[in-house]
Amino acid sequence: MASSLCRFVRGGFSRNFSFVSRSPALVHGRFDSTTTETRPTVRPKDEVTHNQLSAFGEYIAEILPKYVQQVQVTCFNELEVMIHPDGVVPVLLFLRDHTNAQFKNLTDQTAVDIPSRQNRFELVYNLLSLRFNSRIRIKTYTDELTPVDSAVPVHLAANWYEREIWDMYGVFFANHPDLRRILTDYGFEGHPFRKDFPLSGYVEVRYDDEVKRVVAEPVELSQEFRKFDLNSPWEVFPAHRESKDTPKLE
Amino acid sequence: MVGVLKKTTGLVGLAVSQNPHERLRILYSKILASLQTIPKDAAYRTYTEQLINDRFDLVKSEPDIEKLERKINCGQIEEVIVQAENELSLSRKMVEWKPWEPLIEEPPTNQWKWPI
Repeated sequence: MASSLCRFVRGGFSRNFSFVSRSPALVHGRFDSTTTETRPTVRPKDEVTHNQLSAFGEYIAEILPKYVQQVQVTCFNELEVMIHPDGVVPVLLFLRDHTNAQFKNLTDQTAVDIPSRQNRFELVYNLLSLRFNSRIRIKTYTDELTPVDSAVPVHLAANWYEREIWDMYGVFFANHPDLRRILTDYGFEGHPFRKDFPLSGYVEVRYDDEVKRVVAEPVELSQEFRKFDLNSPWEVFPAHRESKDTPKLE
Repeated sequence: MVGVLKKTTGLVGLAVSQNPHERLRILYSKILASLQTIPKDAAYRTYTEQLINDRFDLVKSEPDIEKLERKINCGQIEEVIVQAENELSLSRKMVEWKPWEPLIEEPPTNQWKWPI
């Protein structure tokens, strides 16, 4: 094909399985290295897939510059596209219908709560293309009060996923056919997966013999909550050191 | 074009198409027509036109269905027809949305910074 853009990735993932058989007899001392040399158990870097994915990411960013804010390929060769929340339906529809993309399956839809950010919720859509055997991740953001367009017109699978995100995080989806609670109890108040919601919850239920039904009462912990400071004295992420800005003298 | 039609596509709900060349011809010309309304420098227009023109040339040059399927290399001819229909509806929606315009809004600072 002249156009190198017509992608078909035929399962070209070269996986190297190397089994090193050790002789069970010898525990101490050296053993005969007649078998293949030992290699560290680190996944080998797959440059080919990495380059293919970044090329495809650039392709998407070139076609949809109105919505795409950032594109990255993780070290595990996963393509992630960060978009503006207004572009959820256009981007998902493009990825579903375009001939070079054909991501017909919505594998997963979740939210991530990062309270320190301005838009604390990060919505994540995982898509799979059966035709080209590849996956892609779409990320958007929103805060507690801003609604996001529902993905149900594009992928019917998003129905219950969005109900779950509404129930657990409180992200409202506009144009959803039936947005109601799915996992919490019927009269439950609050959004449990938020970071500020405590592990034990606010309310506990018990059966009351007087009124002959289940009543909900404020939770009573037998032991007061202990907060452990788990920070280690050593630097945790040396690769992500923040560069100290030196104040400029003017 | 007169050949033995295959009995079934093997896919549920996808019937064998009687005249795939004609159908593809119609669909591809419709797609190209709707792409004309997009500005020439838009990446979507250039890439999609290139793709559709390549497929169109293959359809025009190859009368045998099986060889055409192998040349296009995107599944059965009925699936290629479905892809063309999807591309047509997508191109019409792209005309509405105009995704070639510059970015609507930059993300807030540190929005995509990870680890926090």
